[in-house]
Amino acid sequence: MISLSDIPARPSAWITPPMIALALLLLAAPDLLPAIGLYQYLGIEIAIWIGFALGFNLLFGYTGLHSFGHGAYLGIGAYAFGLFQHHVAVSLWGGLFAAVLAAGIAGALVGAFLSHRRGIYYALLTIGFGQIFWFLAMKLHRVTGGEDGLLGIPRPPLTLGPWQVALTDNRALFYFAAALLMIMVVLCWRLANSPFGRVLQAIRQNETRARFVGYEVWRFKWAVFTLSAMLAGLAGSLLAMAQQSAYPDVMSLHQSGLVVMMVLVGGGLVSFWGPVLGVVFYFVARDVLGGLTETWLFWYGLIFMAMVMLRPEGLAGMLHGLLRRGSRHQPSSARAPATEAA
Amino acid sequence: MALFEARRIHKRFGSRVVLEDISLAFEEGQISGIMGPNGAGKSTCFHVLTGQHRPDRGEVLFDGQRISGLPPQRIARMGVSRSFQLMNLFDDTVVIENVMLALPSFRERRLRAMSAVFSDRGLIDQALAVLDQVGLAARAWDAAASLSYGDRRALEIAVALAAEPRILFLDEPTSGLGAEATRRLAQLVRQLRERYTIVMIEHDMRFLFELADRISVIHWGQVIAEGTPAQLGDNKWVRRSALAEATHA
Amino acid sequence: MIDLLPHIINGLTLGLLFALIALGFTLIVGVMEVINLAHGSLFAIGAYFALTVIAGSWFAGTPFGAWWLSLPLGLRYVLALAIGPALAGLAGMLLELCLRPTYGKPPLYGLLLTFGAALVIEELIRLIWGTGEQNLALPQAINGAFLLNGMIFSTYRFFAAGFSIAAIIAVWLFLERTSAGAVIKAGAHDSEMVRALGYDLARLRLVVFGFGAALAGLAGVVMVPIWGLRPHVGVDIVIPAFLIIVIGGVGSFWGAVIAALLVGLAIGITGAYAAAWSTMSMYLLLIAILGFRSRGLLGRKSALEH
Repeated sequence: MISLSDIPARPSAWITPPMIALALLLLAAPDLLPAIGLYQYLGIEIAIWIGFALGFNLLFGYTGLHSFGHGAYLGIGAYAFGLFQHHVAVSLWGGLFAAVLAAGIAGALVGAFLSHRRGIYYALLTIGFGQIFWFLAMKLHRVTGGEDGLLGIPRPPLTLGPWQVALTDNRALFYFAAALLMIMVVLCWRLANSPFGRVLQAIRQNETRARFVGYEVWRFKWAVFTLSAMLAGLAGSLLAMAQQSAYPDVMSLHQSGLVVMMVLVGGGLVSFWGPVLGVVFYFVARDVLGGLTETWLFWYGLIFMAMVMLRPEGLAGMLHGLLRRGSRHQPSSARAPATEAA
Repeated sequence: MALFEARRIHKRFGSRVVLEDISLAFEEGQISGIMGPNGAGKSTCFHVLTGQHRPDRGEVLFDGQRISGLPPQRIARMGVSRSFQLMNLFDDTVVIENVMLALPSFRERRLRAMSAVFSDRGLIDQALAVLDQVGLAARAWDAAASLSYGDRRALEIAVALAAEPRILFLDEPTSGLGAEATRRLAQLVRQLRERYTIVMIEHDMRFLFELADRISVIHWGQVIAEGTPAQLGDNKWVRRSALAEATHA
Repeated sequence: MIDLLPHIINGLTLGLLFALIALGFTLIVGVMEVINLAHGSLFAIGAYFALTVIAGSWFAGTPFGAWWLSLPLGLRYVLALAIGPALAGLAGMLLELCLRPTYGKPPLYGLLLTFGAALVIEELIRLIWGTGEQNLALPQAINGAFLLNGMIFSTYRFFAAGFSIAAIIAVWLFLERTSAGAVIKAGAHDSEMVRALGYDLARLRLVVFGFGAALAGLAGVVMVPIWGLRPHVGVDIVIPAFLIIVIGGVGSFWGAVIAALLVGLAIGITGAYAAAWSTMSMYLLLIAILGFRSRGLLGRKSALEH
């Protein structure tokens, strides 16, 4: 089976063709979605979850640390954003900052505890912590609103210097989310192909050797956990703005599990773009299949199981395989990357 | 004082004493060998020397500094490098990246999250130079998993070399190699001795006797004999093992 | 202290039921080296099928249905105790078949597969039985309450405790005194060795999975009046099960039983002081235990450690 490290062993530009394709799709989305029978708000949801999934995959796919409780950080980001608006100030940048900070602190604390553990212990501890956060969200009624959720979260306007844009309209919020997403995409891409990112992948492939060539493996694991929590927090703040509320449900095992499934189905184990494909596939399945039958999640679950059994490289991996077979007449053997200006 | 020393190492697993009062010294610029039957404790000894296990008693010193009890990554950064008998490679990626990851100049940049690795010509050239030493430069961009067994052994050593160590520990480097590959490996080791102090565990006695300046024999968790190959040639146990090996050859 | 007594008894009862679940779980982990995240779902299958067997709801309105409901509740309950676990066992075997492509691959895949199965089963339960909380009709003999020393005790809990003890002993006898049990026990300790001795490993795995699943299903049936019955009930069980085998040690029979009692007690006693936090105590216990001692009280190095 191919893997993440296979796909790019070449110099990576800041901006790549798939990124441009994504940007164009995002640009067209508010008009494209209604045209194919879907609705505009879906675009915001997809953008939020792509951001969440990309950050998550740095941990899951790249470093090989299997967190089944990552929804907690999405939720913490959402709550932090909302609480900031309610109790500190109605401010976009303040809210975003609070979300990233809160999720980052939570991630750093949990990560510090987790990062010495491995394998199944790691996975189950992430479930444990996720459930604790979910539980706290449900029980700390006065802070979070409990099961009813934190309501009435405003959408503060975007202020850049003298220029102000209202985000109350779904379309405007979408473009803001899309812009943030593209920044996240560029940063994550750069990171995955940087020395830091390569060390993460080395840790996934052979933790022992990574140690014996001198890397402080624990610190890297902790750093990527915290980073992915921060990115989840950022996505969470967008979620709070989109829904104008924050609920405990995103912290549940169910939702944390969803992002794992999206990432695998999309091909996050072998490709940077896997999470993107996975998120889009999930939401299309939800809204298209879900329109046809109430049992769509059951079918999605079966598809997921089938993929794990038969095609763990996911959609991206399958696509990559098709493309490679298609260009078999080209000499695809080892060649040094061109190092002219990227 | 020797470059690398082990003093009165004692190690047990549960109730089983594996190493008992072992003292070794490896001089700079020499090739030192460790041999002994299976289960004698030489692998455990190796693990203790390189930081994978902590000795219950005794200490390990590198360049006068105590390294026993330090985590392996600290020891590695101090200039102690090792290869593994059961190979430990980064199998999902290309050959050259295996080596690059071990380069100190790469490691210096490990926190750089925004610069692109494979655009760095300097790093690539350094890695290629290391691969050249073991004869794998032509396969730099192939998948590590696609290499033949012999080439993987070579890569295993290359990764250890890339770290620019002062002392190189090789764990049964001829393991699984045929006659031709072993010959090439011996040649490589002879080339390497000019720049590195080398310590080898080996089963292949002929290989060891040919290359090592000094050999320690470990049996029943203790050093039962030590000396140059010539001196050891007279040793009872060594002679018996050599005979055993010859009949199995 | 005497006030705590009902809670202690509740906790012990819960612990005994947990023990059944944990025993199945640890056998599966031992033989398959797979952490079955769907174990709770198998528990739920047992419970939900018991519901159907007792209430006969699938045949409502048919002559068969009417005849079924005319059977005494006690008989229907006993049948449920047999059918629920049997069907859970079948589901377990089906799951094992699905797991086969993941053998030999990194453990992540087995984990993901059982995770997916847990979700699929939960959805299936939701679709078939609905999302609401359900109740099991209980025969008069084991229902209600009785007075002892001026305190009220639930009859059912005593039944559940007694039943669990009997079941645990039965499992022990099976593992220790029968040849089939010996093979299963051996397989749980060293599956490679068992294969070397000539046993069909594939068949062994299937049987063990089925057996472990049936135990979970049995616990499911008995636990409904105590734990409740809703689609999510399966997921809530996996963490305690895992916690128990970590504390008790993988592959240890009595370790699982003792650890289960401890966990049950922990939940029962926190229930006395802060009822809302009793389920949370499981997660806190998990973190505390895994944070400091990963090999458990009586366990050996296992597939859990890589």
